[in-house]
Amino acid sequence: MEQLFDVSLFASTIRMITPILLAALGGAICARVGLFNVGLEGLVLIGAFSAVVGNHFTGNVWMGVLFAIFCSMLFSGLLAYLSINLRANVIVVGIALNFLAAGLTTFALRALFNVKGAFFDKDMVGLPKWEIPFLKDIPVVGNVLDGILSGHSPLVYLSFVLVIGLQFFMFKTVTGFRLLAAGENPTAARSLGIKVTSIQYGAILLCGVFCGLAGAQLSLGNVTMFTENMTAGRGFIALVATMLGQSNPIGVAGSSLLFGFMEALSVRLQGFSLPTHFTSMVPYVVTILAMIVFKDKSYLQEARKANESSR
Amino acid sequence: MDKVKQAMRSLLQPLLAIIVGLIVGAIAIAVVGGDIIETYKEMWKGAFGSTFFLTNTLSRATPIILIGLGVALAFRAGFFNMGSEGQMVLGALSAAVAALYIPGPAWMKLIAALIAAIISGGIWSALAGWLDAKFRMNLLITTLLLNYIAVLFAGYFVAYPLKDKTGSAAMAQTAMIDKSVWLPKLFSGMSLHAGFVLALVGMLLLFFYMKYTVRGFETRMLGANPLFASYGGVERGKLMLISMFVSGGFAGLAGAVEVLGTQYRYIEGSLTTPGYAWSGIMATLLAGSHPIGTAAAAILIAALQTGGMGMERNTEVPLEVSEIIQAALILFVSARFTYTFIKRRKKARG
Repeated sequence: MEQLFDVSLFASTIRMITPILLAALGGAICARVGLFNVGLEGLVLIGAFSAVVGNHFTGNVWMGVLFAIFCSMLFSGLLAYLSINLRANVIVVGIALNFLAAGLTTFALRALFNVKGAFFDKDMVGLPKWEIPFLKDIPVVGNVLDGILSGHSPLVYLSFVLVIGLQFFMFKTVTGFRLLAAGENPTAARSLGIKVTSIQYGAILLCGVFCGLAGAQLSLGNVTMFTENMTAGRGFIALVATMLGQSNPIGVAGSSLLFGFMEALSVRLQGFSLPTHFTSMVPYVVTILAMIVFKDKSYLQEARKANESSR
Repeated sequence: MDKVKQAMRSLLQPLLAIIVGLIVGAIAIAVVGGDIIETYKEMWKGAFGSTFFLTNTLSRATPIILIGLGVALAFRAGFFNMGSEGQMVLGALSAAVAALYIPGPAWMKLIAALIAAIISGGIWSALAGWLDAKFRMNLLITTLLLNYIAVLFAGYFVAYPLKDKTGSAAMAQTAMIDKSVWLPKLFSGMSLHAGFVLALVGMLLLFFYMKYTVRGFETRMLGANPLFASYGGVERGKLMLISMFVSGGFAGLAGAVEVLGTQYRYIEGSLTTPGYAWSGIMATLLAGSHPIGTAAAAILIAALQTGGMGMERNTEVPLEVSEIIQAALILFVSARFTYTFIKRRKKARG
């Protein structure tokens, strides 16, 4: 048991959840304005790829992150335009976006770097690892905390700040309330003079920013390379984390932690050649059970009504 | 006359989508410095150039058609069934298990395998329907979740209890199914198998079911206007369970024909890696959930994929051009919703 649960398990949990958490926060904002964003996977993939591109061509890791944010925002803008202005079904557009992202990134990988499968450059520098000072000096638990919390990329710490910031923004600021109102009852919100369309646009673009950060963490934080389809379903896991967390930033953080922990545990179990299938399954089963307990909130009902028919 | 006009109009949209897709593809080809016409020629050759390539395309299209049909039925009833992947995987696993372990003559094993696949895919899908009917859980999310559970579940079985230990390779797969239980090939030496015929039969059955039966009418009504349907006495819960069962059954069958006609065993990842489920959903979206159109769109998508492979073999242009074309097709089709929306709004104003 002690071999199974040690400091490095929790440290790798934190590393693993960050992309999921960031994308899930983006998904939560979209869900709150009544748009169910299935395109998270594609947005994160675009972010991961453009982060590497930006880093490679500017030689600066932060320019890479900025470029990732920019590209993901561009794509989320496409999603917003098609689903808000052109009233295309947001789920259909999301699915198409995932395809487009997968195709475009592999295509651009070939067109820009003339490689297939993966791009790796030994001179490319990833995101720095930050050590938290003074953490080691805390008595008794200091070393454990340091082992878990120190030595991650700045984006990891940023993601935790964003959770709290978003929670504050949604439930304590006027703009946040307007955002919630726009999702819960667009007609009523509009009658009060809230600009629902611009709020929806803002939410989707913000989601793009989050997904860009998630992608950058994936391709510059966890590793320093881009591989074809490197999101490997993380966008969909983020979608599930959004649902499990009831689109509540803190809840989303909790459910992302569960997913990350189970993923890290699965990796660990693999080392002991034990079946990992059931540990990997736990988060999904928990989500289904949780959905029975927490009934659909009204904003989701709205989202569902809008998406029930394929036409 | 009106009917012809209507048919023309419904054909015009997909044709336009294809043209837009090809234009986008041409841009992508030009970006990497390929010869556009030459590249498309190679693509055509790779998809339909010879009997070998044609049958190859059709055999790739087989699971896509079946999945597309299942999704089309669910869409028509107004349900977003995104769980084809899990349903297909479970169908494939049960088909393999039935073909391996059910005693009796070969034809019985084959039929049992097909039925087992339909039932297991159907039940998995109906479970999502039941959760929606009983607990009002969003079907879109539950089907997505059930995908993961099904894929992991099947993965466990082929990695541990059912794993083939005879081969030297340590692959997660079941034992090879006996040759007598394989779905027969339609032409000797070609990859096309009897599953394609099953897919075409399924297409016709679904077409007539939707068009000429009472239940089919009720299904369409439920999708088009749920309130009107319930006013007319359609039981949503019951119809939902039935449509989801049939929808999942199609996906399960898709898995079964892949196992019995192409792979001859269940190999972990052999169904999820080519993305059959998403391709099937794409075919449905492209065809606006029309059964025959879905089959045609599935063949088109399969042709884009096999054609892309041919293109990559013979030119410098990467395979992913065909993925970009596919995505452009869908984006265009999703904007089609808009077109009808604008038209409707104009009518309402005028």
